[in-house]
Amino acid sequence: MGSQLAFKSRIASTASLEKIFNAQEMIASSHIAKARQVAMDAKPYADAIFDAVQAVVAHGHISHPIVRKEENNPKVAVLALTSDRGMAGPYTSSIIRETESLLGRLDAAGKEPELYVYGRRGVTYYKYRNRDIVRTWEGDTDKPGVEVADSISNALMDAYMRPAAEGGVSELYIVYTEFINMVVQKVRVLRMLPVELIEAETTLGDDPDLAAVEGVSPLYIFEPSIEEVLDVVLPKYIRSRIHECLLEAAASETASRQNAMHTATDNARKLIDDLTRKLNASRQASITQELTEIIGSADALNTKEE
Amino acid sequence: MAGSTMQVNIVAADHPVWAGQAKSVVIPAYEGAMGILPNHQPVLTLFQEGVVTVIDTNDEKHEFEVTDGFISFDSNKLTVAVERGRDVVRRTTDTVAE
Repeated sequence: MGSQLAFKSRIASTASLEKIFNAQEMIASSHIAKARQVAMDAKPYADAIFDAVQAVVAHGHISHPIVRKEENNPKVAVLALTSDRGMAGPYTSSIIRETESLLGRLDAAGKEPELYVYGRRGVTYYKYRNRDIVRTWEGDTDKPGVEVADSISNALMDAYMRPAAEGGVSELYIVYTEFINMVVQKVRVLRMLPVELIEAETTLGDDPDLAAVEGVSPLYIFEPSIEEVLDVVLPKYIRSRIHECLLEAAASETASRQNAMHTATDNARKLIDDLTRKLNASRQASITQELTEIIGSADALNTKEE
Repeated sequence: MAGSTMQVNIVAADHPVWAGQAKSVVIPAYEGAMGILPNHQPVLTLFQEGVVTVIDTNDEKHEFEVTDGFISFDSNKLTVAVERGRDVVRRTTDTVAE
């Protein structure tokens, strides 16, 4: 049985931690609504781009580098989306685990993966282990703006469009966390480049939002020309897809943080209850002991008098 | 004229800018300004930085400053997708364009 003072100080510190966890949880739940709104706001643009790309695909065969697969270049890019801050439960660690396993698979397949990392936690993890990172981005992982998406997609598109001899890559994978609902977030590996447009078309039935595209007329006029339209629209499409991934990762991060903080708050409360009980038991024990001592000494005095 | 309006959606990368029915839209297309009226032929056009002018069903004129982007028009629905939302400035005037 520990001393009452020790219990009291542990209870006090746990109580202050509990307050922090609770505050973090409330902050996270207020951010969730915002993250959802941002994702909703970006959706019309993503849909517009997707429709345009589908229209172009329906129009004819595309030989743009973005859709062409270059088999002979072993270099591939891997982008891992992690968080800037901790206290988000297993969010960053599951991304890192998945990234590691993807890197292993790519290595085994004879590819040379190059790592790109977004989010301070991920960057710190790899820097500490002296791993080669081609490029990193930090900041605003819980509310990624268009600027970050722009910078990331520019860097990755640059790497993708460069010839193999100048260090270009032939594929791009993104490891991010898919937001399924408030309690379930799943780590996913997405092959972003080269774009598989034809497959996207055949899987239209899966997504009710895309089903409407089926009626696209092939009689579009393209101005200035179909090639120039593609040159502009495809990079925008990639940018928009990357932005979508960032937003989804941000929503997952916030949800993950809220869950983690909720569990932490619960645990802290349980710990406080437990410690309070121990404190009471310890106080009771000391009172009992004092009583025993008093009675014992009184008894001894009485015996002496007789 | 019946059916002389079209659905217009102006969207920026991070937020929708304007949506509604319109009588005509002028965009700063790649090779000069381009006017689009309802029931236009399906078209997908890039445009440059400039001002998109929308005349809505109440003959109100809406002007949007846009960065580069593209428009697509089909089934009487016009989508204007622009790059940057923060560069989009909305100026509404009640001058009637007749």
